[in-house]
Amino acid sequence: MSRLLYQVIGILIGLIGITLSLKRFKEGKTSPTVLIIWLLAWLSLIIISINPYATSYLANILGIGRGLDLILILAIIGAYYILFRIYIMIENLEMELTKLVRELALRESEEDE
Amino acid sequence: MNPRDVTIIVPVYNEEGTIIQVINDLMDRGYDIIIVDDGSTDSTPYLLQRFKDDNIKIYRHVINRGLGAALRTGIEAALSRKTSYIVTFDADGQHDPDDIEKVCKPLIDDKADAVIGKRNFSEMPLSRNIGNFIMNIITLIFYGIKVSDSQSGLRAFTRTAASKIKINDRGYGVSSEIISEIKRRGLRLKEVPIKTIYTPETISKGTNLSVGIRILVKLIINILKRL
Repeated sequence: MSRLLYQVIGILIGLIGITLSLKRFKEGKTSPTVLIIWLLAWLSLIIISINPYATSYLANILGIGRGLDLILILAIIGAYYILFRIYIMIENLEMELTKLVRELALRESEEDE
Repeated sequence: MNPRDVTIIVPVYNEEGTIIQVINDLMDRGYDIIIVDDGSTDSTPYLLQRFKDDNIKIYRHVINRGLGAALRTGIEAALSRKTSYIVTFDADGQHDPDDIEKVCKPLIDDKADAVIGKRNFSEMPLSRNIGNFIMNIITLIFYGIKVSDSQSGLRAFTRTAASKIKINDRGYGVSSEIISEIKRRGLRLKEVPIKTIYTPETISKGTNLSVGIRILVKLIINILKRL
């Protein structure tokens, strides 16, 4: 019974995720690449929910003991990757902001002359 | 030395207590002055308005972007004018304006392309001394350059040297970056002893321990980026 519950929740979250991703894509808020990545992520969530043993199968191929370990490892790697991307993004923003502020200062002073 | 050949860059951030005196001292000596107000939030911008002299140019960052960004704006502005020597000078009143001639001398005698004013560490308060010591070691490890004062705010460059130096660091790490750039561009560096005037303002700002650690983290990231 408990297994059934998390399977249902998993499938539901997956379906909501797909709907939201498609909606954002239609509104032009995401690029096709990002849409595909998200669809794959949601689809794998649904597949894993329907057939939890699929992860064990994959884990065995990769030499990792349990299916759950594989998910955790992937989740941590994924989270670190996103952190890294956000770091780069913020750094770029800071750089652009500085460029803007400097340019503004130099230009304003030019106009005074 | 003709003071008109020298442009002094003064990066300013919330220096209402010292800025008037510092600028008056520089004006008395007839230097060409560039002030970069790095988004001060105290009365500094208001105080700066009273300087309406042809030899003073004020550039204002609308928001605070850090010492490195301010110096970069200052150097770019200085290079757009007819000047032979570019000097950076802290606005907190820690430098003696008479030292400007001293740091420019090796440039005029063509003995160096860049000069860094070396402060006397025996006079420095302990907390600042430790911060500077760590920064010197970091500069040595990461850039392979041994200097006795990597964090000094009094520096002098020839026009050519200043145009070759590329600044990327936005914060206090800029001091180490400038030294590394001097080396990378094959410029001749000289350290000249200067006086340092310690006041409560000079002690509270600048390279203390926490700033040192932040610079360290940035340097490591910079090195990783170059790999």
